[in-house]
Amino acid sequence: MSSRRSRSRQSGSSRITEEQISELVSKLQDLLPEARLQSNARVPSARVLQETCNYIRSLHQEVDDLSVRLSELLETSDMSSAQAAIIRSLLM
Amino acid sequence: MASTSSSTTPAAAEVEERGRKRKRADGAGSTAAGGAEAQPSKWRTRREHEIYSSKLLEAIRLVRAGSSSSSGSGATRGRAVREAADRALAVAARGRTHWSRAILASRRRRFQAVRRARLRAPATPPSRHNAAASAAATGQGSSAPPLAEKARMLGWLVPGCRRLSFPTLLEETTDYIEALQMQVRTMAALAEALSAISANSSSGGAGSSNSSAA
Repeated sequence: MSSRRSRSRQSGSSRITEEQISELVSKLQDLLPEARLQSNARVPSARVLQETCNYIRSLHQEVDDLSVRLSELLETSDMSSAQAAIIRSLLM
Repeated sequence: MASTSSSTTPAAAEVEERGRKRKRADGAGSTAAGGAEAQPSKWRTRREHEIYSSKLLEAIRLVRAGSSSSSGSGATRGRAVREAADRALAVAARGRTHWSRAILASRRRRFQAVRRARLRAPATPPSRHNAAASAAATGQGSSAPPLAEKARMLGWLVPGCRRLSFPTLLEETTDYIEALQMQVRTMAALAEALSAISANSSSGGAGSSNSSAA
């Protein structure tokens, strides 16, 4: 809590309101998966930021894994089946 | 227009639900920052289809480039796919966000470095991994509150957001996370469809026991 107060004191000169920041943080909190963080509860901003960092790292990891998988799949398939796959996944 | 209804991971399913809830909430009229309420639904509807066409082009070009010149192990090619996917994601953002501009800017620089490096030896250090490593190594905090430290870590994770103000950083992070979620959903659906199709074609197609619905 004290960190938030000091932050508003620091940023008072740059006209960033505490309310603005907490609104942005709560918006961020909504994005996080519910398994990691209980939504609808007032969670300290530091915790939200921490969870956000972890979540972004896990998303990066997931994208990496998917990239490897996609590269393998694309290797063994030709263009027509790749295009068919695109259309199919679009329709699903 | 319904976005992809099939989810491969529970996280994606929750994201879908939240996306629908947010669409209703935005329709009810939420007073927030200017163009912000348009952003959440953007990553969940038409944009998803637009980014598909960009990804398709990138992926096809990659396959052609990869097959013509042996780019090495699967990890290298996977990284190439990842970078293409990131670039397509950044293009879909239409340059309105810091992170998308940073991705496109860094890719141009890195592409030229890769070209030169490929002539000598295959070595492509991803800048994202380097930034994360440097973040772990230094861990410095000029201002005392741990909030600033976490914000700094976040600034390192989101590309191009190291020197932004705190509220801007939060906005960028919000958009970046939604974009990443969409990227994961899209790539997962693509991988499922591709594996289903290649499985069907390899087994002969007709009367295959594999379920066609992924």
